[in-house]
Amino acid sequence: MSLEAIAAIIAGGLVSGSLYALMASGLSLVWGTVRMLNLAHGALVMVGAYSAWYFSNRGGLAKALQPIGKSIVENAEGSGALGGLLLPLGEWILSIRGGFGLVIGVPFAVLCCGLVGYIMYVLLVKPFVGKPGADLVVIITTLAGASFMQNGVQVIFGPRYKQLDRILKGPPLQVLETAIGLQEVLIIIMTPVALLLLHFFLKYSKHGLAIRAVAQNDDFAHLVGINVSQIYPLTFVVSSILAGLCGVMLGGLFFILPTMGAQELLFAFVVVVFGGLGSLPGTIIGAYVIGFIRETSAYVFSLYWAPVVLFATLILVLIFRPRGLMGGEES
Amino acid sequence: MRLLKKLHEHRIALAIIGIVVFLAIPFVVTNKLLIHLGILGMLYAIVASNWDLTLGYAGVFNFAHLAFFGIGAYTSGILAVKLGVSPWLGIPCGGLSAALASIIVSIPAIRLRGIYVALLTFACSQLVLLLLLSQPLITGGQQGLTGVPQLQIGDFRFRESSYAHFYLVGFLLLCSTIFLRRLVTSDFGLSLIALRDFEEYAVARGIPLARQRLLAFLLSSIFPGLAGAVYAHFLIVASPDIFGFSLVTLLLSMLLVGGVATIYGPVIVGVLMTYVSELMASSAWMSDVFGISRGPVRFMFVAVLIVLTMRFFPQGVWGLIKQFSARLRASRGAATDQPQIS
Repeated sequence: MSLEAIAAIIAGGLVSGSLYALMASGLSLVWGTVRMLNLAHGALVMVGAYSAWYFSNRGGLAKALQPIGKSIVENAEGSGALGGLLLPLGEWILSIRGGFGLVIGVPFAVLCCGLVGYIMYVLLVKPFVGKPGADLVVIITTLAGASFMQNGVQVIFGPRYKQLDRILKGPPLQVLETAIGLQEVLIIIMTPVALLLLHFFLKYSKHGLAIRAVAQNDDFAHLVGINVSQIYPLTFVVSSILAGLCGVMLGGLFFILPTMGAQELLFAFVVVVFGGLGSLPGTIIGAYVIGFIRETSAYVFSLYWAPVVLFATLILVLIFRPRGLMGGEES
Repeated sequence: MRLLKKLHEHRIALAIIGIVVFLAIPFVVTNKLLIHLGILGMLYAIVASNWDLTLGYAGVFNFAHLAFFGIGAYTSGILAVKLGVSPWLGIPCGGLSAALASIIVSIPAIRLRGIYVALLTFACSQLVLLLLLSQPLITGGQQGLTGVPQLQIGDFRFRESSYAHFYLVGFLLLCSTIFLRRLVTSDFGLSLIALRDFEEYAVARGIPLARQRLLAFLLSSIFPGLAGAVYAHFLIVASPDIFGFSLVTLLLSMLLVGGVATIYGPVIVGVLMTYVSELMASSAWMSDVFGISRGPVRFMFVAVLIVLTMRFFPQGVWGLIKQFSARLRASRGAATDQPQIS
């Protein structure tokens, strides 16, 4: 293997590892705390990408607002004091014809994902919490939720591909004889930052501590006065925000389409099983390991065979270490 | 009660009437689309009811059943297209390869429990899909395997008649349903239910857990494999769409809405649901109302139906029918009893 190939594998492994880490940590958080497997997590990634596109791109919200702006400007002239007040608003709306940009788009996408995550919890998970066999029922309901969101997005936005603007524009960086796009560099840097923020949230904030307490022992968390029924939706919201961030990053790399989260969800499954369901450090290490395995097998065999190698790995891990490499024994 | 007893007494006559009515359908219903959907619905009903054996009776959360269906379709398709094997030999081969695949899947699956089984079977079915996509020269890749020959006996081509496929698939569904019903009421079926409801006790009473679950996988994979093979020859294509999220969700809804652990429920709802979802996709008013392509809307409808079923009547349609008839019986019994008491 040449130096160039090794550098390319490392760069590719870091990028896919980062994306898997963002996605799988949300999956693992929900599994560890609520003890449910959220099959709609991939659809949340897709929702994140679409909402970022809608709020930032010129073809999204900005385009939808244009007729309103136009009618305000037309009606404002000659309608007195109120018109004078509304006129600047109308002119402002007309001035954003080019879209709001990612500065607005990304925070709104994150908000949107959090909201969708909360709604999903209320409709698909909450009615079944505490009932026998709930974990399996929730797999079914979230699968239905994923199908609903995928097809709903197709109804709203149509089947045509969309693409997010790139956050950084410019020529790719040359590192060790391989070229890395700026978007990729951004993903490699931003993911550890986001995961560190998650770490601080879980370690030092009141709500984060409550999430970890519920994950460790929900009965005792109840006894010390933590409102477990509030922690569950909070966990879903945090996990959805992570999925949304992943979607924003994916949307900058590839085309956005309604089925985009499905493949990533499968890789995230491989990661969480590999690292141990419910163990965050295991999940993050697992994500990067799986990222490197994927890139290496794509180089050694072919792009087609890389997922085959990954799923074979998953099945082997499930046979020999079903709790994952860093997962504890089931209590 | 008396009505049921009477029905039971005349069950052979009823079965004959049922078969005659079924045989008459293609001659009474002249709409080609309705017959086509009936065939499709019966094929899906076979998969859903067999899925019920592992998911409903054995309580194993298995996601690989559509993979067995797909393996059956691709086996028979590849044999016919690439090797020129007769479809009549290819269809049993489809069942056989599905059975083989079920053994491979169940060996790791019986060691795991709960959510891990779901993950593993899900991964297995995706693995099959990826393997199929990675060999485009043999399987046709993303476009699917085209040019699968249609079924024919001598010069009689099945696709040219309106009834041949209908009868064949109906016969397959009948065999599958009788097979499954006999299975779940046998000692084997009871042992599966015992393992599902109280695993420790059942194992302590000497039921071999691993063997029964492996058998459940194996026995429930044969008919989906056969159905898959017929499906490929019926549509003259084997497509990777079989493994997609949408079809899994649709079949899951047949099983859940029909009623888990009933066999009859998924069979009936499987056929009905195919009509509902396909007619939704092709009816004109849907596009007039929503002004959009209709394909996605029906899957949204199916998704909502699944969640509502799980939430409000987890026992499914068949469970509701049973409950209703039990209540009816109780109230009628009370009504006839009353004069005697007074």
